[in-house]
Amino acid sequence: MSTITVRNVTHVFPGGVLAVSDATIEIRAGEFVSIVGPSGCGKTTVLNLVAGLVDLQQGKIDVAGKPPRAGRGDVAYMLARDCLFPWRTALANVMLGGEYRGVPKSDREARARLFLNKVGLSGFEHSYPKALSHGMRQRVALARTFSLHSPVLLMDEPFGALDAQTKLQLEDVLLDLWTAEQRTVAFITHDLNEAVTLSDRVIVMSARPGRILADIPIDLPRPRSVRALQKDARYHEIYAEVWSWLEQSLLQAHMI
Amino acid sequence: MKRQGIIIGVLQVVTLVAFFMLWEWAAVARAVDPIFIGQPTRIFDFLYESIFVTGSLFKDTAWTLGETAVAFVLGSATGIAFGLLFVVWPPVERFFNPLFAGLNALPRIALAPLFLLWFGLGAPSKIALGFSLTFFIVLSSTVAGARSVDPDWLILSRMLGASRAAMFWKVTLVSAVPTIFSGLRLGLIYALLGVIGGEIIAGRHGLGQQLTYLAGTFNTNGVFAVLFFLSILGVTLTWVMGGIENYLLRWR
Ligand SMILES: Nc1ncnc2c1ncn2[C@@H]1O[C@H](COP(=O)(O)OP(=O)(O)O)[C@@H](O)[C@H]1O
Ligand SMILES: [Mg+2]
Repeated sequence: MSTITVRNVTHVFPGGVLAVSDATIEIRAGEFVSIVGPSGCGKTTVLNLVAGLVDLQQGKIDVAGKPPRAGRGDVAYMLARDCLFPWRTALANVMLGGEYRGVPKSDREARARLFLNKVGLSGFEHSYPKALSHGMRQRVALARTFSLHSPVLLMDEPFGALDAQTKLQLEDVLLDLWTAEQRTVAFITHDLNEAVTLSDRVIVMSARPGRILADIPIDLPRPRSVRALQKDARYHEIYAEVWSWLEQSLLQAHMI
Repeated sequence: MKRQGIIIGVLQVVTLVAFFMLWEWAAVARAVDPIFIGQPTRIFDFLYESIFVTGSLFKDTAWTLGETAVAFVLGSATGIAFGLLFVVWPPVERFFNPLFAGLNALPRIALAPLFLLWFGLGAPSKIALGFSLTFFIVLSSTVAGARSVDPDWLILSRMLGASRAAMFWKVTLVSAVPTIFSGLRLGLIYALLGVIGGEIIAGRHGLGQQLTYLAGTFNTNGVFAVLFFLSILGVTLTWVMGGIENYLLRWR
């Protein structure tokens, strides 16, 4: 039984841009799946359809047995931008979801503190975002995303705006959180290393209109460590396979 | 850079002293008739007398500040309320837009005779004039602030399960506060301008009325004294607002 089912979904934006064409994706409960593809191929559109932020036109989408709807409690969402409110401290930012949902203050505060600790930000509870580095801010966003009890996580290039080293650190934080929590994750990225490192499966989309080109299982053992994988032969083999699919997609689109 | 600051400070003091000495000399030597330019030492005497001896300046200041405060509070409260209404419900803005555009284009001081007719010589006509200036400034800064809310913040809030009301109060409104504040800072100065303007045109109390009276009796020293005092008052008001702003917006 899949937690996220996207079946034969096609999406046309006003003005006639065919963004997604007949896409079918299945993500099982507890699975970490990355979606890669050339820029503009419709990855964000697919994710926003699943999130319920964009209305479904054609096809069928099912998230944990229900049609998508923005704001349902069982789906969390994270973007490349941390979207922290500058007028709230790190702690108050993490507490935001609980606040919107009417969770009692002591509960949401305890949970926010717990997750700030898990992302390595103990001691920064009362810092305002302006006093935090990019990486730290994205850690706060991770804590905000995970501190909700949502079993489904939708992440749109969450580390896309970070420098290479910070990115590696945050991938480790994400791996730890995910291993401990077993959420179902749909993870969009244009970084193949990241996709292979984190995922159980990598789905490669074609250039616009986005179709599913390949669905590649990543049979690397878990728990994984970002650093150890860099020296792993199997890792590089899988990387090469995923790259050949993406290369094909980019060639098709005359992007390389 | 600290050294540069000291040099500039010293230059400022030297220039100021030189300026006042030249001014004093011009008046004493009658290079220019003191009826036009007054005389610094006498201006100072006037200030000293009316602040520390008779205290007459305080009574007028209390009137002016009181009227300014009422004009400012009413003007900004109404401005913020209308601004938020416009943002939440755009048809209301479309309805009021031609009227407000017309009123706002009117040189507000031109309304003074009408306000005198309606509200009389006392405080209400001055308050109305201050209000008419503050309202539009705060209104437009509220609308601009609330419209410029980051759409990603709203998307994130929606995904986090925020109600429309929560999104408005906790995101749109809070994110507009810095812009609203810059409107309030300006609005306060304009409230003072409206009130003083009203007092100058006709009135029984206030610093503006004092100015008219002193000029009418050719008391040039008095006029300058009140002008200095007004300038200090304006700077103080701006400074207090800046302090409140820095405290409330300490996250910036
Ligand atoms: N709101 C919109 N209106 C019109 N076209 C859009 C809109 N959003 C995205 N598109 C177009 O749809 C295509 C897919 O966009 P997107 O899903 O953001 O791609 P990706 O995330 O893979 O880079 C792009 O060509 C983009 O220009
Ligand atoms: Mg995208």
